[in-house]
Amino acid sequence: MTKYIVRRLLSTIPVLFGLSVVLFVFVHLLPGDPATALLGQHATPELTARIRAQLGLDKPLYEQYLTYLSNMAHGNFGVSILDNRPILEEFGTRFPGTIELTIGALAFAFGLGIPLGRFAARHVQGLGDGLVTVISLVGISIPIFVLGYTLQFLLAVDLKILPASSSLDARLVVPPVTHFILVDALLAGQPDAFVDALRHLVLPSIALGTIPLAIVTRITRASVLDVANEDYVRTARAKGLREGRVDSRHIMRNAWLPVVTVIGLQVGGLLAGAVITETVFTWDGVGRWVFLAIQGHDYIVVQSVITIFAFIFLMVNLIVDVAYAFLNPRIRYA
Amino acid sequence: MASIASTGPVLATERASRGIWRDALRRLLRNGPALVGLFFIALFLFLALLAPLLTPYDPVVGTLADRLQPPGSPGHLLGTDLQGRDELARIVYGARLSLVVCVGSVLMGLAMGGTIGAIAGAAGGRTDAVLMRTVDVLLAIPGILLAIGVVTWLGRGLPQIMLAVAATNAPIFARILRGSLLANREQDYVIAARSIGAPRLRVLFRHLLPNSLTSVMVAGTLALATAIIDVAGLGFLGLGPSDPRTAEWGTMLTDSTQYLRQGPFLIFFPGVAIVISAIGFNLLGDGLRESLDPRLKR
Amino acid sequence: MTLLAVDDLVVRFRTRDGTIHAVNGVSFELEEGERLGLVGESGCGKSVTNLAIMRLLPKPAGHLEGGRVVFEGVDLAKVSESDIRDIRGKDIAMIFQDPMTSLNPVLTIGEQMVETIQAHRKVSNSAARARAVELLSMVGIPKPEARLGDFPHQFSGGMRQRVMIAIALALEPKLLIADEPTTALDVTIQAQVLDLLRNLTTEHGTALILITHDLGVVAGMTQRINVMYAGFIVETAATADLFESPSHPYTVGLLHSIPRIDAPPGEELVPIEGRPPDMRHAPAGCPFAPRCAWRLDVCWSENPPLRAIDPTARVVSTGAASTHQVACHNPPTREEREAGRPLGDRYHPAPPPSGALDELSMARVGASAGEPDGAIGETADVWPESSSVSASPSAGGLPIDPTDR
Repeated sequence: MTKYIVRRLLSTIPVLFGLSVVLFVFVHLLPGDPATALLGQHATPELTARIRAQLGLDKPLYEQYLTYLSNMAHGNFGVSILDNRPILEEFGTRFPGTIELTIGALAFAFGLGIPLGRFAARHVQGLGDGLVTVISLVGISIPIFVLGYTLQFLLAVDLKILPASSSLDARLVVPPVTHFILVDALLAGQPDAFVDALRHLVLPSIALGTIPLAIVTRITRASVLDVANEDYVRTARAKGLREGRVDSRHIMRNAWLPVVTVIGLQVGGLLAGAVITETVFTWDGVGRWVFLAIQGHDYIVVQSVITIFAFIFLMVNLIVDVAYAFLNPRIRYA
Repeated sequence: MASIASTGPVLATERASRGIWRDALRRLLRNGPALVGLFFIALFLFLALLAPLLTPYDPVVGTLADRLQPPGSPGHLLGTDLQGRDELARIVYGARLSLVVCVGSVLMGLAMGGTIGAIAGAAGGRTDAVLMRTVDVLLAIPGILLAIGVVTWLGRGLPQIMLAVAATNAPIFARILRGSLLANREQDYVIAARSIGAPRLRVLFRHLLPNSLTSVMVAGTLALATAIIDVAGLGFLGLGPSDPRTAEWGTMLTDSTQYLRQGPFLIFFPGVAIVISAIGFNLLGDGLRESLDPRLKR
Repeated sequence: MTLLAVDDLVVRFRTRDGTIHAVNGVSFELEEGERLGLVGESGCGKSVTNLAIMRLLPKPAGHLEGGRVVFEGVDLAKVSESDIRDIRGKDIAMIFQDPMTSLNPVLTIGEQMVETIQAHRKVSNSAARARAVELLSMVGIPKPEARLGDFPHQFSGGMRQRVMIAIALALEPKLLIADEPTTALDVTIQAQVLDLLRNLTTEHGTALILITHDLGVVAGMTQRINVMYAGFIVETAATADLFESPSHPYTVGLLHSIPRIDAPPGEELVPIEGRPPDMRHAPAGCPFAPRCAWRLDVCWSENPPLRAIDPTARVVSTGAASTHQVACHNPPTREEREAGRPLGDRYHPAPPPSGALDELSMARVGASAGEPDGAIGETADVWPESSSVSASPSAGGLPIDPTDR
C-alpha cells in the first residue's frame, strides 16, 4: 500500500506544476496588453502602472513565472484590483462560508443519494427504480441557478417556509472568530443564531447538492446491482445467512467502495458550483466573491481563486484515493 | 472421415443478428426514455434550425412600448421582456445560439482531446505519460471554473465560450480514445492484422478507431447536455456573448431576475428551455449507452 | 436410506427476451453417503438443477416451476424461506466454481467461516474460531491460526477452494454439492482438491453431487453418473457401467471426443457435430435429434423417457448396483459404441420435418465444401453483415478481414 501512496503522491507533482503554468498563463499572458485588458474600463494610468509593476510585466517571461511560483509558495497571490486587499487573506475569511455550504451539499447528496440508490437497486426494473431514475435524470439536467431560483420562489417567497437568501438573518450578529457561522454561533453561545444559520443553509445545500445527488444515486444503484450479482453473495446465501446479514456484510460492504471514489470528484463539482449557488442565494463565501470580481473585472481575484480551488481539488482527490487504498483490503494488503 | 451425402436441402438459419448498427438502432427505438429524449432534441433542433421562419420578431431589438407583456398577449405567445423583445423569439434564437455553441464546443473538445488521447494511446510509454499528465492538469480545474478561467483570460465572445467549454470536455474524449487504443492494441486481432502485413496507420483507422466510436457517441451526447448547462452558466455569471443584447438562455435568466416583481414569468421560459434540452441529450446519451452495449447490466 | 429425491424438476428463466427452458423434468435419487456425478456441457442445466435444490436460483428471472425436491422427507420446493435458510449450510452445502469470486473480498477468511458457524449454532466467537482453525487444518492449510486473519486475495486458487470446502463442511452437512469445483484450477491442483473432496466426504459420510463437464473428473470420484443434455437426464448408470457401455449417442460422442492415451495410433477423434441447442424453445421430440447420427423419424416428434437398458431388470435408482438407464429410441450397438458412429444400413439419419434445424447436415455440408477446418475463410461466413465495426466497444472482437493485406 505504501508503494501505491507514494506513486499517487508522485503523480500529483507534475500536475501541480502544470497547473501553475496554466494559471500563470491565465493571468500573465493575456492577449493584448495584459494590464489594460485586465482593467478594461477601469484603466487609469495609475492603476495600469500599478498592475504592470505588480505583475512584473516588464520582466522576461520566465522570470515572471519564477516570481509567480515563489509568490505562490509564500502564499502571496497578489492583491485585489478593486480594493487592494491581499487575496489570500480575503480568501481565508470567506472560505469557511463556502465550506459550510459544501458540507451541507455533500450531506444532502450522500445522505439522500445512498439510500435512494439502494432503494432503486432493490426494486430494479420496477416502479421504484423508474421513479428514482427519473429523479436522478432531472437532477443532472437542471442547472444550479434554475433550481436555486425555483426553490427560492416556491419555498421562500411563496410558501415562506425557509429563508430566501444569505447565510444569516440580517438582524442577528455573530462575532466572526473562525468565520464558520455555525461554529461561531456555538462559540458565542447563541443557539438561536445556530438554528437560524442552519435554516439558511437548507435551500442552498439542496440547490448545490442536487447534481451530486443524482450522480451518487446512480453510482450507488449500479454498484449495489453489480455486487448483488457477484458470486460471493450467492455463497453467503448458500451458507444460510439471513438476508439482512447478506445485505449489510456482503452487499453493502462492497457496494459503497465505488461510491467513496466519487466523493473526490464531487467536491470539485461542488467548488465550481459554489460560485453560482452563492450568487443566487447571496451567500457569504468565496463563490460570491468571485462573482462580484467577475462583475468588477477584478480578474486577478478570479484567477487566483481558481488556482486555489484547483489546488484544493487535487489535494482532496489525493486524500480520497489514499483513504480508498486503506479501505479496500485488496489494495491495502496487496 | 467418411463423408455423408447430404440428406436434404440446407435449411437457412434465421439470422440472429442483422447488423450491429441496425440492432442498436432497434434497441434504441424500443427504449421509451430514449425516445422521449429524441423528441426533446427534435424540438430543440426544430426551434434552432428554423428560427427565422418561426418568428417575425427581432430577438435583439425590441419596442419599449411593448415591454413586459404577460404571456398570451396578442402577438406575443410568451410575452415580452424589459426591452420589449418578444420572448418566444428570444427563446427560439437562444436555441440557435445554443446549438451552434454547444455542438461547436463538443466537436472542438473531441478534436482536441481525441487527438491527444489517440496519440497517447497509440504511442504509449513516455509520450503517453506526458500527454495524460497534461490532461490531468485540465481536469484539476473543476467544471465551470475552467470555463470561467478561459473566458476571463480570453474575454467574452462566442468563440471564446466555445473554446472554454471545449476545454472542459476535451479531457473526457482524451481518456476515451486513449483507453480504447490502449486496450485494443494488444488484442489478438490487431496482432493478427499486423502479422499479415497491414500497415500501422491502416490498423489504426480500420480497426482501433471504430472501436471507440460507440464510446465517443455516448460521451459526445452527454457532453452536449453538460455544454448546454455550462454555456448557460457562463451567461448567468455575466460571461456570455460580448453583446449583452444577444438572446442566450443563461443571460436571459439573469436579466429576468432583476425585474422579478414585474415579470415573474420571464424567469420561467429560459429555465425550462435549458432543462428540457439538457434532459433530452441526457436521455439520448443514456439510451445510446444501453443500446450500443447490450451486455451492460441495467 | 434415500437422502434426496428429485422428482420431475422444471426450471425456467423468464427474461425480457423470452423464456429459457433450463431444466425440463429431471428426476434422480441420492442415498446417504453416495457420490453422484452430474455431467454435461455448458448450458445443459446441471448447475441450475442444483441451484434449484437449494432455492438459490437467480432472481428475478429464475423460477422453479414444477416438481419436488424431497430431502429427508421434506419437499424443499415448498418450505418457507426461513426453513430453507436453516437447511442451507447446515444440512446441504454448496461450493462453486470460481473460488476467487465466491469469497467476499472485504472480509477475512476467519470472519467468513465464523459467520457460517454462528448462523446455525449458538457458539461464542472463540469457540467458532477454534472450529475454524480445526477446519482449515482439516483441508490442509498450513498455519491456520495465522491465516484466519487473511483476506481471500492473499490465498492461491487451490487454497481458496480448500477454504470453500472447509466452510462448506463446517457444520457437517449431509449433502455437499460441488459445482465445477476444479474447473478454474491448474491440473495438478485439481487432483489435490479432488482427493481432498473424496477423502473428506468418505470420512464424514457426506453425500456428494459433483457437477462437471469433465468426464475425467467424475471417473475417479463418483459411484454413479447422470448425463444431462438440454435440461434432461439422457443417461444414468453406475460409473463403471457408463464408461464401459455408454448407451446414449451423446455419451458415446462425449467419450469419443476425448483423446485416450491407450487408443491405437492414427485413430481419429469423432466430434459431436453441430452446436448446443437453443434453450429458448420448448423442447419437442428428443433434444439431441438435430445432432444425432442415430436418429429415427420418431426421434423428431417424441422425447424418449429414461428406460432401463435391460427391460427385464428391476429398476434400482441408487448405489453401485443402480440400473443403467438411457433415454433413447435407438441406442447404439456395442460395435457402434466402439466406432463412435452408426454402422451398416443404420447409416442414414432420418431427415428432419420441415422447418426444424438440422445441425448434422449443416455441419457436414460445411466440411465437405472443401474449406479447411477453423481457418479464416470459414469464420468469415459467420460474421454479421457490417464487418467493419465490432459488436461491442468493450469486447474489441473485430473479425479478421481476409482482404486486408
